[in-house]
Amino acid sequence: MAMKRAVQSLLASSSTLTRNLHASGEKKKIVGVFYKGNEYASNPNFVGCVERALGIREWLESQGHQYIVTDDKEGPDSELEKHIPDANVIISTPFHPAYITAERIKKAKNLELLLTAGIGSDHVDLKAAAAAGLTVAEITGSNVVSVAEDELLRILVLVRNFLPGYHQAVNGEWNVAGIAHRAYDLEGKTVGTVGAGRIGKLLLQRLKPFNCNLLYYDRLRMNTDLEKEIGAKFEEDLDAMLPKCDVIVINMPLTEQTRGLFDKNRIAKCKKGVVIVNNARGAIMDTQAIADACSSGHVAGYGGDVWPIQPAPKDHPWRYMPNHAMTPHISGTTIDAQLRYAAGVKDMLDRHFKGEDFPEQNYIVKEGQLASQYR
Amino acid sequence: MSDPTLAQQHLVKVHTTTHETVVTTHNHNQTPSINASGEKKKIVGVFYKGNEYAKLNPNFVGCVEGALGIREWLESQGHQYIVTDDKEGPDSELEKHIPDAHVIISTPFHPAYVTAERIKKAKNLELLLTAGIGSDHVDLKAAAAAGLTVAEVTGSNVVSVAEDELMRILILMRNFLPGYHQAVNGEWNVAGIAHRAYDLEGKTVGTVGAGRIGKLLLQRLKPFSCNLLYFDRLRIDPELEKEIGAKFEEDLDAMLPKCDVIVINTPLTEQTRGLFDKNRIAKCKKGVLIVNNARGAIADTQAIADACSSGHVAGYSGDVWFPQPAPKDHPWRYMPNHAMTPHISGTTIDAQLRYAAGVKDMLDRHFKGEDFPEQNYIVKEGQLASQYR
Repeated sequence: MAMKRAVQSLLASSSTLTRNLHASGEKKKIVGVFYKGNEYASNPNFVGCVERALGIREWLESQGHQYIVTDDKEGPDSELEKHIPDANVIISTPFHPAYITAERIKKAKNLELLLTAGIGSDHVDLKAAAAAGLTVAEITGSNVVSVAEDELLRILVLVRNFLPGYHQAVNGEWNVAGIAHRAYDLEGKTVGTVGAGRIGKLLLQRLKPFNCNLLYYDRLRMNTDLEKEIGAKFEEDLDAMLPKCDVIVINMPLTEQTRGLFDKNRIAKCKKGVVIVNNARGAIMDTQAIADACSSGHVAGYGGDVWPIQPAPKDHPWRYMPNHAMTPHISGTTIDAQLRYAAGVKDMLDRHFKGEDFPEQNYIVKEGQLASQYR
Repeated sequence: MSDPTLAQQHLVKVHTTTHETVVTTHNHNQTPSINASGEKKKIVGVFYKGNEYAKLNPNFVGCVEGALGIREWLESQGHQYIVTDDKEGPDSELEKHIPDAHVIISTPFHPAYVTAERIKKAKNLELLLTAGIGSDHVDLKAAAAAGLTVAEVTGSNVVSVAEDELMRILILMRNFLPGYHQAVNGEWNVAGIAHRAYDLEGKTVGTVGAGRIGKLLLQRLKPFSCNLLYFDRLRIDPELEKEIGAKFEEDLDAMLPKCDVIVINTPLTEQTRGLFDKNRIAKCKKGVLIVNNARGAIADTQAIADACSSGHVAGYSGDVWFPQPAPKDHPWRYMPNHAMTPHISGTTIDAQLRYAAGVKDMLDRHFKGEDFPEQNYIVKEGQLASQYR
């Protein structure tokens, strides 16, 4: 360990040298950025908010560490900004992300570790983090079931036309035709997932008993046995898969390649009346192209919980376009998911304090090395 | 007519008529059974109006305008096809045709209530068909006593309803609607949603009734890795139980307190009317979620509204109401944490195409004097099927 670290330090920048010299056992400054729970924090299992702070405050402070928790994360005068110069660890979630830009990394003299409580570290400038020799990790698997369930919820809500029915119920109306004329069963429909990593696979497994025609596109093909078990067919060419789909589900990380992947041209190639579900990342879609396609009816429905800017501004066009089934970014922060990701964060902090490695699948950047799927 | 089989059928019908006459002394029963196949019939269909939506989708056959897509076929055989949505009260369009209709077709989505009084007036009535599933808009005892046949298109929308039930389980469990409201209202308050949002994984889901819809629901729930329980009069075959992963519960009141989610999947009968009353709801787990796409009257209206207001029931969702259409002031429209819709789950376009085809098939068999698929019968020439007794 000592030899490996010494070799690395010879190659790294002075800031890396500084970071890596911190010995385990020293007291650390941990900063957590979460949304405020306010009156809702009374649920004792609601650990994902500022007030409950992942349920790790007592444990951290009992070891002498300092734990600063805030929701105030934007701008030069924010609470977060005050602590960046000397924080050792910053914990954030995709639901209220602390944007870790190259500028912030430059200011962060003591920063060693960036943890995502949840999945998805695209609020971090990963190249800048790698260049600075940082480690970036997330709780792989902590909310994949949550998101897969939520994707299936939105598929059903859109295909079965739930929301117009709900609106009638609360507005004192009864017009079955207004709902039924564009309500379908999911059975027999062609569903394509763009990306079939952990979430995509879990979605396909849950879709199987619905007797759909399941397609998937990914860089890597599943092994044949798993394909057969799930009943999904591999599509090598994304633009050949899309026109076949009644339902398209986005299940890719946001990268340079996937940003704006669904633009005006690609949407036009999709089937008229296509339903799109995106709980991956908002910026994979061109904002206005989606709004326009929903207005024209080329996209019959769009549902998701991710937005290109989060929190979504009050005037974000996706709030007001026809036939959407959007929510704030909540699918991966159910109570059950929170309990899992809090446990995962605690585990990695414990390993960090002891100088131990994390589970390999949790690394996004490991001591300056970017994981292959993010290059 | 010289066909021996046909003659034998005719003989059987005459015998039945004689029997019914002795038992019921209803003279008008003689007329329906004597009608020979091949005669022109008056068919009355009661459906909801499609209005501007009828033109938007050519497969929208479940409305008045689409009329199951069978008008041309019926009229080409010389039958009269009267289609209306006007079904309530003594001056309704439906009431005008009851005295001489031979067949009345209705759907659970806009039901023509076939009461004992209406049956009494219906001199020519032979057959009541439900385009869909669920014939509790028919007074089945009166229909049986009058020697009628009542049939539905069994299986036509069971997948539709099972899918819809699972959708509602997810909507309630994952707290979708408060999130949707925030999106459309320009808000962003993750805590306001997350504090009562859960994964379905690991939860205990109990279905009250495990007939066709209940079984299809359990099959779709399996990959969610829940703890699945079911209550029914009949136990499922052990191999199917294992395949689905559901555990039989013999005692309803022992099952209910275990459940995070309760799904109602029984027909409305004298036994199940008001089954979920104040006392039974109180025995359920605090924070229970209830999904009911079966029949509204299985749940006591005010008891549900009160339990949602108190929070004992954390969410209630379904598409069935009592009465239907639900009046503007129905308490379930306005109670907290509901996810209700009008009665639509079994009338998706796909379901409509299936039940229209099923109705056409049974009309064709009726005209030819042939039996229907056995599972379609609710009442067969005056005999009530066992699950409705």
